[in-house]
Amino acid sequence: MKKIFFPRLFQLLSVIWGVGTLTFILMRALPGDMAYRIAASRYGQDNVSSDAADLVRQELNLDQGAVVTYFSWLKELLQGNLGRSLVSDEPVWQILQHMLGHSLLLASVALFLSFFIAIPLGLLGATFGKKVDQGIVVFSTTIRAMPVFVVGLIFILVFSIHWNWLPVAGFGSPEHIVLPALSLAFTLAAISNRVVRNAAIKAFYAPFYRFAQIKGLSSGRTFLRHGSRHIALPVVAFLGIQLVGMIEGIVMIESLFSWPGIGHGLAHAIFARDIPVIQGAALLMGILFVVLNTLVDLVCYRLDPRARRQA
Amino acid sequence: MNPLISVDQLSVYSKASCLVSPLTFNLHQDRPLTILGQTGSGKSLLAQAIMGLLPDSLRIKGKVSIFAKTLTKQECRAMWGKELVMLPQEPWHALDPLMTSLRQVRDVYQWVVGQTEHTANSSAMKALTSLGLDKSADKLPGELSGGMAQRLAIVAATAGGASLILADEPTKGLDVSRREEVIRLLQDKSQGGGLLTITHDVHVAKQLGGDIMVIKDGQLVESGTVEQVLSNPQAEYTKLLLQAQPSEWPIVDRDPGYFAKSDRIMQTEALRLVRGGKTIIEDLSFTIAKGEVVGVVGDSGCGKSSLGDALLGLLPLEAGSIERFDKKAKPHQWLKLYQDPPSAFTGSVSLATLLDDLVSLHGVDQARIRPLMTRLSLSQEILERTCLEVSGGELQRFAILRALLLDPVFLFADEPTSRLDPITAKEVTMLLVELAREQDCSVLLVSHDPDMIRHTCDQVIDLS
Amino acid sequence: MMVSLLKHATFGQKCGGLLLLVLLAFALFGNGLAPNDGAYQDLDAILAPPSETHWLGTDHFGRSMVARMADAIRLSFMLGVLCVVTSSIIGVSLGVWAAWSGKKVDAVLNVFVNILLALPGLVIVLLFAAIVPGSFFVLYLAISLVQWVEYFRVVRAVTKTTVDSPAMQSSQMMGFGRWYLFKRHIWPAIAPSVFTLATFGCATAILTMASLGFVYVGMQPPLAELGLMMVELFPYYSDAPWLLAEPLIAIALLVLGFHLLGRKSS
Repeated sequence: MKKIFFPRLFQLLSVIWGVGTLTFILMRALPGDMAYRIAASRYGQDNVSSDAADLVRQELNLDQGAVVTYFSWLKELLQGNLGRSLVSDEPVWQILQHMLGHSLLLASVALFLSFFIAIPLGLLGATFGKKVDQGIVVFSTTIRAMPVFVVGLIFILVFSIHWNWLPVAGFGSPEHIVLPALSLAFTLAAISNRVVRNAAIKAFYAPFYRFAQIKGLSSGRTFLRHGSRHIALPVVAFLGIQLVGMIEGIVMIESLFSWPGIGHGLAHAIFARDIPVIQGAALLMGILFVVLNTLVDLVCYRLDPRARRQA
Repeated sequence: MNPLISVDQLSVYSKASCLVSPLTFNLHQDRPLTILGQTGSGKSLLAQAIMGLLPDSLRIKGKVSIFAKTLTKQECRAMWGKELVMLPQEPWHALDPLMTSLRQVRDVYQWVVGQTEHTANSSAMKALTSLGLDKSADKLPGELSGGMAQRLAIVAATAGGASLILADEPTKGLDVSRREEVIRLLQDKSQGGGLLTITHDVHVAKQLGGDIMVIKDGQLVESGTVEQVLSNPQAEYTKLLLQAQPSEWPIVDRDPGYFAKSDRIMQTEALRLVRGGKTIIEDLSFTIAKGEVVGVVGDSGCGKSSLGDALLGLLPLEAGSIERFDKKAKPHQWLKLYQDPPSAFTGSVSLATLLDDLVSLHGVDQARIRPLMTRLSLSQEILERTCLEVSGGELQRFAILRALLLDPVFLFADEPTSRLDPITAKEVTMLLVELAREQDCSVLLVSHDPDMIRHTCDQVIDLS
Repeated sequence: MMVSLLKHATFGQKCGGLLLLVLLAFALFGNGLAPNDGAYQDLDAILAPPSETHWLGTDHFGRSMVARMADAIRLSFMLGVLCVVTSSIIGVSLGVWAAWSGKKVDAVLNVFVNILLALPGLVIVLLFAAIVPGSFFVLYLAISLVQWVEYFRVVRAVTKTTVDSPAMQSSQMMGFGRWYLFKRHIWPAIAPSVFTLATFGCATAILTMASLGFVYVGMQPPLAELGLMMVELFPYYSDAPWLLAEPLIAIALLVLGFHLLGRKSS
């Protein structure tokens, strides 16, 4: 267990450090008075004055050169002080809270859907001979060739604009989630169905699988006792790899569908150069990424008795 | 009485060729039948054909009846576990690596025999206990030894009640000392039923008794009772097979006083080796003379290979010392022959390129290559191929060629023939010993077969 | 070399290679098919459908789409190739070094890699793009920074098993030097994976630039860039659907070409 948590804890600290450093550079790269901008982010655009800016300057040692400033910047970050948005003047934490819920909803629906597509498709490819498998390969390759936002765009053109079945973008009703989740799910499933297929073939042709049948177990029982876990393990492990794709997909899909999640927030903040929100959103994404990775590790650990024995 | 299995003119074809030529035989109750032949002789296909396990790409002709009935694949499948069962070649792979021993056996009692989970659990525990596997009930296959895994496989396979057993190479990869208990277990489990064993090991056939069929390249060479065929073989091939048993090898004689006069090449003092936190060799001292062939024997895991690696400096010593006396010898004259020939070569270039690399690096005399290749019965053509395109025997001989060209003073041969079939193994081992003696090169020959060591070595280190 | 490469290529790889060659030819010589360069605004021909003068039509400023598409695809190729060359050289050399030169180097590099792996690649690139908006060079730096890790991890793992293999141990005992061991043992073992990573990495780099353009934080107008063009042309999808289709098809073909080229036969 320690083997799982220590590296991840280290990664968590890396995320905070990395995001903090990059946004610090971003802050310094902008023209104008940095203390004024930070004061604005803390106390709100309306309450900011040159006095407040001076206070910040003193507190963060902004007049003492880059290195000292940098460390007080990181200190603020470690204390969880993320400031306020330069645009809307809301506290960043509050903005993030809203966004996180939306993103998690979209991500879990998309992931769930992708399983629903990938697992049957993969098993189909593994069991129904070459022709079926080749068809699935063509399908997967075609979807994979399209970036997730192109898939989303095509869905919008077809289902929203041409047929007018579903809303183009936005948030509110259950219909709104269909297209973004589906686009993301298709992109994820285009890759993961191959992983399911390869894992299934590996299990079905493994000597232990045949031996289980020779022992007298029926086909169904053999699949349940010996197939399912051997397929699940690589698929879950692959999920860890796919997390990168999923988070990147969320950034793109949320922006395309104006889904008010973290990805949309991050892209918007970058466009508006709203530094506190950029920092907060990037940080939250990084944390989410590390936490989800840890979850994947834990599930693998649960599934694989060999790993448990070693611990 | 009807035969349990009756095979009539059975042959197996791939698209291009005939893999097993027509065979006819009967298996009777309580009279074991053994099919003897080398790897690749098509004998495994035969077992698969009887079980209804042949892949769709292969066709069969002829008739197989089990319990006097000709069965379809489905009917045959319905009998698996309950009446008919096949033991796997490599038990480690045939056991689910994610499941404990107990569960793999319990599954059969629960889902095949139809017991409740609780009863199945105690039945499984009882079965494991009767074979001394009770302490391993909660272990995963990866934590079992080869012999334990094979016993577990046999228990799991026969738990469903099958007494008609097909055993495909049941002793493959097992230490000599473990073979007998597996064979006894097989005899025990097939009592009142039938036992068809497929093996390359003459010992297995001898111990099982009953009838025997000798097969070569899918063709029947000779058949009869075991006593008859093994004590008085008629076919040339059977004779070769029998002679290839290490116990039948000629003893390579050398005057016992020979090494007293010759120089020492190395000496070890109170050697201690540790692997994975466990001491595997303790307080071992010996001397190797120039040109001496030293045999190391012991069960798997006893540290035979580690000892060789330590002598070559590939493994650190925990305690003790190794002294090399031949100060003139260069580092590249202390060499090793590997157990698995293909893994000891890069497949990226042809063997000729590998040989050229060696020649240009050490300025080897080109004229020596051809005669040595002839001695090793290596044809020039194989040089054009990569290591993946030649047979294991050829590749091991090529490895010997490469080593000998460097005039080694010491050669560590790590089970160099354990992956080869018996006839090739005999040829390669004999050649290695012969050529090493000619060059006055010392050899450390590691093997799990005491007979092989006894017949070829001047000094034996027994680690078991 | 070329001949043997062609001989071993699968049907899919040949298709991918051909597709990329066609796209590359278009990127390099496509400007010749246009009456003007990609910046020239022909205000008399706004949103013109494909015709003899404008093979792919004109956009909302009356700019020739042939020229703009050629520019955009060329930009994509340039980024892809630059990123692949940079990240593969860094990743492969560090990977081999880490696996072959003892625990210290390995440990230090692993810490570094773990830091980079803590953030999804796109987020890192987005942050870089935020610092210097609209800079091709920064985009290239950021993508390479993200991508070398892939090479490093794969190469390190494969090299580790190769270094421990009997084959390499045997060559080493026979006195062969480091360069020989790399040439005969390590490189043949890692080359196929590096090639696959390179083709897929190229596709990912191109995708990343388009993604950034698509959310309007990448290359800035009036530069022709595929993702940016999609956003710009989206409002005209009902008047001139072919315009929106062009960058969509181009990016799909680019990615498809690289994916096909990189896939090993199964």
